[in-house]
Amino acid sequence: MNVFISGGAKNGKSSFAQDIAVKMAKETGRPLYYVATMIPHDDEDRERIERHVRNRNGLGFRTIEAGKNLSAELHDPEGIYLIDSVTALLSNEMFREDGSMYRSAPRKITAELREMCHTFDSLIFVSDYMYSDAIDYSESVEAYKKGLAEIDKMLASECDLAIEMFFGFITEYSKDEEVPEELLEMAERNDAAEAQQAAFGATEGLQRPAHPMAAEREMNFPWAEFNKHRNEEER
Amino acid sequence: MVLIIGGAYQGMLEYAMEKTHYRSTDVYNCTRDKVDIDFSKRIINNVDELCYACLKADRNPVKYMAARRSKWAKSVIILNDISCGLVPMDPTDRAYRESVSRMAMYLVSEADAVIRVFAGLGKRLK
Repeated sequence: MNVFISGGAKNGKSSFAQDIAVKMAKETGRPLYYVATMIPHDDEDRERIERHVRNRNGLGFRTIEAGKNLSAELHDPEGIYLIDSVTALLSNEMFREDGSMYRSAPRKITAELREMCHTFDSLIFVSDYMYSDAIDYSESVEAYKKGLAEIDKMLASECDLAIEMFFGFITEYSKDEEVPEELLEMAERNDAAEAQQAAFGATEGLQRPAHPMAAEREMNFPWAEFNKHRNEEER
Repeated sequence: MVLIIGGAYQGMLEYAMEKTHYRSTDVYNCTRDKVDIDFSKRIINNVDELCYACLKADRNPVKYMAARRSKWAKSVIILNDISCGLVPMDPTDRAYRESVSRMAMYLVSEADAVIRVFAGLGKRLK
């Protein structure tokens, strides 16, 4: 079962993701991997990593360091992989050390992770929900947010389970969620209108009987003369 | 009316079009420049932008919608939730942020159904 988890900062995403991964490993006896995506840049990052490592102690994870090119690092088809986080993965690939931006990073990662969802059956992705504020950020930050949203949407759709964490509370999202009748009725009306239009359009393609006067008009009207005259005028 | 709410880039319009089979020609995109909605379009997108336009024109966005209630009673309205971040420094942005939430509360109370879209997936709240 592939799982997508998102939500606000410090809302319990990582520990919930670990719980799921450990449970999967216990039930199946398959090997457990933690894919560490953060490339530490300062002491705060290093402390954070240490804290996460302490939390994972004794849970049976093997750690794989993969800040970039994730799919090249995952070799065990039996593996249960906890990927924490998609957010870091994207910033690692999108914002380069020299300060430039790799604009195709979201597309590249979307394709890469989609492929992984098809190859592996026990992936747990952790992302961050950062989409509900009123501040207009710089163009590059907006591109990053938009890119992360594209990856999130693909993962939520490809994974068997999509979860939002809200301070420890879990909300499950599903493609099978009930759709309000009002929307379904609109679809029905639109389909009916389209079918009618298609039927109407088809009759237009049929050969219609010519207007009784058409042949006569064509013969009688001196098109050639008219064109010649007009062409001369234009000259 | 069906109200669809979600954060930036979550795929609310895609959700609406997929479920209703309306096309992009049936969508009205609100803008920050104009206090105007073409109610002949069945999907009213980015109603939060209408709030901004109203504030700039010194008009009350909720009153604007309330006065035209019968025109959107059978429509789909999409609103970007911008209520969860930092308080903006700019006073217009602050007022904008609050007016979008007031609009959301009003539309939620009027809606036959409310859907929240998260990473492209919908969940019915009302």
